[in-house]
Amino acid sequence: MDWRGLNKRRIVSLVLGALAVVFFATLPFYYDVHNGQFGVFFFNVFVYVIVAQGWNLVGGYTGQISLGQNAFFGVGAYTMALLWFNNVTHTGYYFDPVLMIAAAIAPAILAVLVGLPLLSRLRGDYFSFGTLGMGMIVTVLFINGGMFTGGAEGRMLVPKMPKDVVFNLRTHYWVSLLVAVICTLVVYFMTTSRVGLALKAIREDEVSAASHGVNVLKYKVLAFAVGAAMAGVAGSIYGYYLLQVTPSNVLTQNWLFLPILMVVLGGTGTIIGPWVGAFLIYLMSWYGDSYFTGYSPVISGVVIILVMLFLPGGLVGLAQRVPGLGRGGGSSG
Amino acid sequence: MSSLIQVVINGILLGSMYGIAAVGLSLIFGTMRIIFIAQGTMIVLFAYLVYWASIKAGVDPYLSLLWVVPFAFILGLGLFYVLFRKAAALEDRNVSLLLAVGLMYLIDNLILKLWSATPRGLDIPYSDAMIVVSGIRVSWLRLALLGLGLGSALVVYLFLKRTRVGTAVRAASEDMEATTIQGINSVWVCAISFAIGIAMAGVAGVGMATVYSFDYQFGFVFAIKALVALALGGIGNVFGALAGGLILGIIENLAAYYVGIEWIEVASYGIFMLVLIFLPQGLFGRRGLVKKV
Repeated sequence: MDWRGLNKRRIVSLVLGALAVVFFATLPFYYDVHNGQFGVFFFNVFVYVIVAQGWNLVGGYTGQISLGQNAFFGVGAYTMALLWFNNVTHTGYYFDPVLMIAAAIAPAILAVLVGLPLLSRLRGDYFSFGTLGMGMIVTVLFINGGMFTGGAEGRMLVPKMPKDVVFNLRTHYWVSLLVAVICTLVVYFMTTSRVGLALKAIREDEVSAASHGVNVLKYKVLAFAVGAAMAGVAGSIYGYYLLQVTPSNVLTQNWLFLPILMVVLGGTGTIIGPWVGAFLIYLMSWYGDSYFTGYSPVISGVVIILVMLFLPGGLVGLAQRVPGLGRGGGSSG
Repeated sequence: MSSLIQVVINGILLGSMYGIAAVGLSLIFGTMRIIFIAQGTMIVLFAYLVYWASIKAGVDPYLSLLWVVPFAFILGLGLFYVLFRKAAALEDRNVSLLLAVGLMYLIDNLILKLWSATPRGLDIPYSDAMIVVSGIRVSWLRLALLGLGLGSALVVYLFLKRTRVGTAVRAASEDMEATTIQGINSVWVCAISFAIGIAMAGVAGVGMATVYSFDYQFGFVFAIKALVALALGGIGNVFGALAGGLILGIIENLAAYYVGIEWIEVASYGIFMLVLIFLPQGLFGRRGLVKKV
């Protein structure tokens, strides 16, 4: 690795990243994000970035293909909705940090409970399909939850809105951007620290990592739980946008497959990959739906296959191979 | 008592569908070391083909076996050479896994777009034919499912035990590297077992078209069910996979009868999790296989 080039490159990408964050953070001051379509667009992109960044930590940096992100997303959304609906915490509820933290903790606990037995096996696909089974169980439990979860109708939160609060997408936009940036920083600092070394060692060779004194199970469960917490927070933010949480909108396969596709397209195990991927994939489905109505999932399927066949490093991996472009090439997303 | 027997028998008959799918999964897993998550989607695709052949051309669904199984075999070979050939040779299984996920997502949504979300099911003239033995009623169609399951498992078993290619497939499932050193073309072995796995999806597709009402989303659920059957029966054993399917069918029907039809999924996925956690080698699988990387 070229250490002299790395420092310069790192400074350039940090500056570009900071500029992008400042641009997006100040966008609502000169653009009406509530009525303009870019507000909804970027809100969705940011929500997807959060989920994708969580998957990136588990799938990209640790090499464990989790197929349960939709379950964590749904558990987060439901945690927020049920606490609010049943008036449990007696706090503000609407964009209430208490609820959003609860929405992160609940899926993380679920991840630890499921992850401990599944991740202690050496076989990666047992983890994949165990998490998939977990997603199915969670979905069915919420559908069959009766009075507690509201069944297939879910929970309607509109009547619970505080009287003096006006629904403005600007709040959603800022909160989702803030959380997306925080999650990116968390993944960045986790993966550039000793923890990250352990995670990458596990990805490359689990047996070797264990023989070098890495507590494999501990780090895998840690990454899985942090990833789940991110999906949970994203779920709560999305719940504040929908104001009706049902199994068919927060537990769908979209929240499972699209984030994976975004990470894979952007570049697995890269910090900027989920941003690039989320932006491009959401752009594709946004415009894909207006030109080829209903075909955007088909296109997504083709894209995931093509990327895996020809571009396993993702777009960021491609950019790194182009001389002179370096890592800064992807931070515009 | 007779109702309990009736429930168990229905479970066995419907479970043979899971069994057929699980045998296919088991073959593909043996050589490629991935759980082919798109298997259920392939089954639904073949069920649609059988359905349209019956609706548009009046082909009897069981007669469709004659063209759907060879077609599935060739499609399997094509899919392998186009999509999975390179990925199967990689140490990193995640590429193959994500390719299968992409394939599933693609075909599911293509079916939705082409043939709409309306659930389909064939209306077969002889679907009411029953045999009644001391109060227990068994429909011929469902008995035919069990026949399909046993027959195809037997064919796969004989292929693995009696043919040279089958021996190569078995050797490759034991140790791919050593098999390659012996001069066996590992790509061809993977291709054959993948194609037979897809051909099993063709057999299951015929069964699905005759008994189930299916739609574009059914494949994902069905693949998970096949996976549950495989985990129950244990990987690396053709009849174990079939038996896993039958047991899953019995469990589901018992759950539907005693707890309620909406709890079927909780029962089967719950058992799946328990098996993965406490009995990773399955009921009939060889010990030690799971511990290997």
